[in-house]
Amino acid sequence: MTAPALRARGLTRVYQDGSRRMPAVSPTDLDIPEGKFVTIVGPSACGKSTLLNMFCGLDRPDGGSIETPALGPGGLLGRVGYMPQSDLLMPWRDVTGNAAVGLECLGMAPAAAHQRAAAHMKQFGLEGFEHAYPGQLSGGMRQRVAMLRTFLCGRKINLLDEPFGKLDAMTRTAMQAWLLDYWQENACTILFVTHDIDEALFLSDEVHLMSPRPGRIVLSLPVDLPRPRRYGEVVTSVAFNRLKAQLLDQLGKVA
Amino acid sequence: MRNQVFAPLALGAGLLLLWEGYVRLAHIPALLLPPPSAVFAFLGQNGGTFYRNAAVTLSELLIGFAGGVVIGLALGVLMHTWRGFRTAAYPWLVATQMVPIPAVAPILVLWWGFTLAPKAATVALMCFFPVAVSTVDGLGAVNPEMLRLLRSFGARAWTVMRMAALPSALPRIFSGIRVAMALSVVGAVVGEWVGANQGLGYLMLHYENRGETAGLFATVMVLAVVGILLFFLVGGLETLVLPWRRYAKETV
Repeated sequence: MTAPALRARGLTRVYQDGSRRMPAVSPTDLDIPEGKFVTIVGPSACGKSTLLNMFCGLDRPDGGSIETPALGPGGLLGRVGYMPQSDLLMPWRDVTGNAAVGLECLGMAPAAAHQRAAAHMKQFGLEGFEHAYPGQLSGGMRQRVAMLRTFLCGRKINLLDEPFGKLDAMTRTAMQAWLLDYWQENACTILFVTHDIDEALFLSDEVHLMSPRPGRIVLSLPVDLPRPRRYGEVVTSVAFNRLKAQLLDQLGKVA
Repeated sequence: MRNQVFAPLALGAGLLLLWEGYVRLAHIPALLLPPPSAVFAFLGQNGGTFYRNAAVTLSELLIGFAGGVVIGLALGVLMHTWRGFRTAAYPWLVATQMVPIPAVAPILVLWWGFTLAPKAATVALMCFFPVAVSTVDGLGAVNPEMLRLLRSFGARAWTVMRMAALPSALPRIFSGIRVAMALSVVGAVVGEWVGANQGLGYLMLHYENRGETAGLFATVMVLAVVGILLFFLVGGLETLVLPWRRYAKETV
């Protein structure tokens, strides 16, 4: 058992909508082991994004605690990698400039940041598009630029919020395989959020199922499928479908 | 692109032909409405005069415009970053636009005499407002998700301003600047009407007093050409500064 990179205990979040209290996240315990690929899967608006927002320091929990033993003491803002649902590329920056945004925010000189970004273009399948503007890119490429922007910051923990949610099925499958390759080459901890059960099982070491609002974790499932994984083989295997049945069964009970 | 030059020229030529035909067929006295041919003839005979006076007006206009844009930008940024100032100052900035410029201009002449200063100030007074308003609106319209992303990277307030708010506001700011450019022509002429001994505005009064209607029309034409050129110059500058706009389908 590896030490957790991130540990949450009794985490809660309540939104105030006028005089109405809208609980978004019920008391939640979660351990993300270091170096693992962990996914939270759940229906839309179940509080998955709220959870990530708290983990990266953008949102304050109303109760409970977040510890990050892997990072040491200090605030979370700027120390946890975060990739939101929409790519949020700046239309006025070219591909290299967009990829360098994270580094520049961390205080790196623009020229050095651009150089660092440029060195990764091939690895992220962006070769030849270094100076293209976001408006000229396909959805998959935009997503890779956004991911490069996050990964360039070199954080030990990376939170990815439905990064492939807006992609078509084929691009999505390709991006999943590509992400797994990247993760296996670069030891880091990934907490991934999706509402796609296939995606969750294919990518992860552990899957946590969240209930509809107010979200809480109702099932935690280790995914001991061998790696490296090939999409076609994995999603048609008996072991995969047994796990999928378990998740769907539990989802049917809470939804 | 070629169409954008030829279509307006063709329309302009057509209107001039109608004007010429009307004046000739209806026998309108030249004192009331000279035909375009007479106006162009006047332009040709007095090219040097128009050139000299246009240069004077242009310098007043450009100095006032630059000042107005800088003041507008500064006010816009200040109002965006400092809510208290915005609340306190916005109504008064609107009030400055309610005061008729012809009423203010004589006071400026009283202060600074027949110099360039009152004209440039009149222009600046008209220019700063659209720039300030578009800057405030533009800075406020930045995608809040983008701000959150930059904060998650650990960006400080100034970095957010420089990297996200300002660039995303630039298209709107340029709209304000284009409006300001168009207004600055009127500003310069009004500034000259109140007290000047040179410039296109002065020239208009001069020809009017002498009953040289063709000269008056010729001056208006020169003014219009100057205004159109400046307006499109700002447009060209915009495509130069914002090359990405061609590809941007979304707003950020």
